[in-house]
Amino acid sequence: MKSVDVQNVSKRFGDVQAVADVSFAVEPGEIFGLLGPNGAGKTTTIRMMLDIFKADSGVVRIFGGKLNLAKKRRIGYLPEERGLYKDQKLESTLIYLASLKGLSEQKARQRLGAWLERLDLAEHRHKKVQELSRGMQQKAQIIATLLHEPDLIVIDEPFSGLDPVNTRLVKTIFEEQRVAGRSIIMSTHQMYQVEALCNRIVLINDGRTVLYGQVDQIKRNFAGNAVSIRGHGNFEDVPGVLETRRHNGAWQLALAVGTDPQSVLRHLAERESVKIERFELAEPTLDDIFISVVQDGAKVKETDHA
Amino acid sequence: MHNIWLVARHEYRRMVVRRGFLIATAAVPIGIAALLGITFLVVTMTQNNAPIGYVDQADVLDLGLQETLPDPDDRVEIRSYPDQSAAQAALEGEEIQAYFVFPPSYPSTLAIDLYFAEDAPRNELWREFDDWVRANLAAELPPEKRTRLLEGSTIVVEDIDSGRVFREDQAVGFIVPLAVSFLFFFATMASAGYMLRVVTDEKENRTMEIMVTSITPNQLIFGKAAGLLSAALTQLAIYIAAAAVALTIGAARLAFLQQLSVPWSYVALMVVFFLPAYVLISGMMIAIGGMVTEFQQGQQAAGLLNLLFVVPLFVLPLILENPGHWAVSLLTYFPTTSLLTVGLRWNLGGLELWQVAISWLIVAGSAVLMLWAAARVFRVGMLRYGKQLSLSGALSAVRGS
Repeated sequence: MKSVDVQNVSKRFGDVQAVADVSFAVEPGEIFGLLGPNGAGKTTTIRMMLDIFKADSGVVRIFGGKLNLAKKRRIGYLPEERGLYKDQKLESTLIYLASLKGLSEQKARQRLGAWLERLDLAEHRHKKVQELSRGMQQKAQIIATLLHEPDLIVIDEPFSGLDPVNTRLVKTIFEEQRVAGRSIIMSTHQMYQVEALCNRIVLINDGRTVLYGQVDQIKRNFAGNAVSIRGHGNFEDVPGVLETRRHNGAWQLALAVGTDPQSVLRHLAERESVKIERFELAEPTLDDIFISVVQDGAKVKETDHA
Repeated sequence: MHNIWLVARHEYRRMVVRRGFLIATAAVPIGIAALLGITFLVVTMTQNNAPIGYVDQADVLDLGLQETLPDPDDRVEIRSYPDQSAAQAALEGEEIQAYFVFPPSYPSTLAIDLYFAEDAPRNELWREFDDWVRANLAAELPPEKRTRLLEGSTIVVEDIDSGRVFREDQAVGFIVPLAVSFLFFFATMASAGYMLRVVTDEKENRTMEIMVTSITPNQLIFGKAAGLLSAALTQLAIYIAAAAVALTIGAARLAFLQQLSVPWSYVALMVVFFLPAYVLISGMMIAIGGMVTEFQQGQQAAGLLNLLFVVPLFVLPLILENPGHWAVSLLTYFPTTSLLTVGLRWNLGGLELWQVAISWLIVAGSAVLMLWAAARVFRVGMLRYGKQLSLSGALSAVRGS
C-alpha cells in the first residue's frame, strides 16, 4: 500500500493557480524529494496532502484512503513555517505535542530522554524554548516530528539552521527511519542533500509537475545537458548554456534543453582565447537539472507571453 | 474529546503560571484583606468605646434594664452618677467619654443635656444609650407594646410585578450583588484578553501547522476555550471565596458588615450568564487573533469590541432610575450587554424570570454561532504568517468560500 498517493490535485487562490494537476506517490521505506523553486507550489501541495487546505480538484490518499484523525497520528510533520511555544520549557512542550499524537505522557517522557541525549539537548530540557539557539530549536522540531514514531514523515527544509555535524546526524536519523520502513517526503532547496538521500523526486514548477521519477534515471536522461571542460580562457556567455561555473578545477556548463554539446564545442573552438584540454559530457547534478528545467520553464513562459 | 481535554489542560497550566494571571488572582484577596485590615485598624484606633455616664435628677431611670436589651454585653457600658460634679470628675478623669444629665423637668420636657470632652459619642453608642432610655420609658407598658416600641420601624418596599422585596435594614446588602456583577463582568473582559493572547501566541509561535496535523482546528479552539474558562473560573472562585471569608471574619468585628452576606443564588445566576458571555467574547477574540499578525494589533481591535460589552456602564443612571425603560430592555436582550444589564437589573426588580431566560437563550445562541464562525476564521487566518486577514477575507472564511 502506498503511503501517499496524490492524483491530479489543483488549488487556486483567487487569480493565482498555486498548484495545477500535480501527481505523485510515495512508497513505504523511501525518501522522496519534493522539489521546486520558491513559490512553485510545494508547500501548498504538502498542505493539501495533510488536509490543511482542501484541494479544488484531484484526489489525495494517505495510507490508502482519506486522511482522518487516526491517520494524522501516524504522520510526523516538520512544516516550513515552524515554531514551538517560546515561553514553554523544552521537555514539557515536546511531551505535549507527542500527547496530541496519541502518545501517553509516560511513554513520551521515556522516549524523549533518548532523543534528547542523541541530539545533544538533554542538558537543555528544562530551558524555555526561547533560550535555545536556532540550531537547537531546529533539532527540537525534529524530535517533535519523530517522537511518536510516525509511519509518514513530511519534512520541509529539515537542515536549515544546522551545522555540518548536526546535518550529518540528522541525515543518519532520516536514513534510519527509511530503513525502518517509514516513508519520508523531503522538501528542500539543497540539491546535494536530495542526491544523497532521495530515491525518487518530483519537481514542481509554477504549480505543475515538470519532473517525476527515480533520481538516477532522471540524471541519465539529462546526461547530454551538461558538459565538463578543462582548459584555459573564457567559457562564459556561450549560446545555449544556462549556467557556467567552476568546480574542482573544471568548468561545468549546464545546457538548455535541445542544445547540442557539439555546437558548444564548435563555438568554444572558434574562440581564440580559449584553450581546451578536455571536453566531456557530464552527468548533471540535480542542481544542474533543477536550474535547467526551471530556467527553461521561465523562457517558455516568456515566449508564451511574447 | 480526549484531545480537547489535552489542549484544555495544557492551556490551563500555561495560564495559571503566567505572572499577569497570578498577580490578578492574588490582587483581589490581598486587596480585600488589606481593606478589611485597614478598616479594622481605623475603627479600633479611632473609636472611643469608653463608658457613658448619666445623672438622673428626674429619678426615672433604672440601670438594670440594660440587661433586658439584646446582646447586653456588646453594648456600651452605662454608669450612674449621683450628681453632676461626680459625673464631671469622671469625665475629666477620662473614666467616661460623655455624660447625660436628666433634669427634674425631663418627664414633661423630654429635654436632656449632654456633656463631653472633645467629641460627642459616635452614633452607634448614642443609639445604644437611646435604646436603654427608651426601655426605661416603656418599662410600664404591656410587653408586646414595649417590644414593638423598642424595635422601631423598618421600611419595606415590595415590587408588585416581580414580588421582589427591599428592606431598609438590608439596604447595604444591595452593594454585594452589584459588586458581584462587576466582578463577573471584569472577569469576562480579563478572560477575553487572555484568549486573545493565547491565539496570537499560537500564530506568532507558528505552531499552527503542527497542531492542525495532530488535531482538528475545532478541537484546538474548544480546548483553548475550555482551558481558559477553567482558569477564569478558578480566579472567580478564589475571588468569591476571599470575599466570603472576609465577610465572615469582618462581620464578627465590624458592625456594618453584619448586614452583608454572599448572595449565593445571585452568584449562581451570574455563573449561568458568565459561561455564554465568556464563550461569546472568546469567539470574538479567536476571530481577531486569527486575523491579525501580532498581539498589539489584536488589542486595538479587541478594545473596540469591548465597548460593546461596557455600554450598560454608560447608561448606568438610566438603569438605576428606570430599569423598565425600553433602552434598558434592549440592552437586556442584546448578547454583548445582557450579562451586565441582567446583573444590574436583577437587584432593582421588574425583571421577570422569563425575560432572564430569553436573554440567556439569545446570548447562548450568539455564543455558539460566534464560536463556529471564529473556528472558520481561525483556520484560514492562522496560516497567513505575517499577513493580516481582511474583514472581507474573514467573511469569506465564515461563508466557507
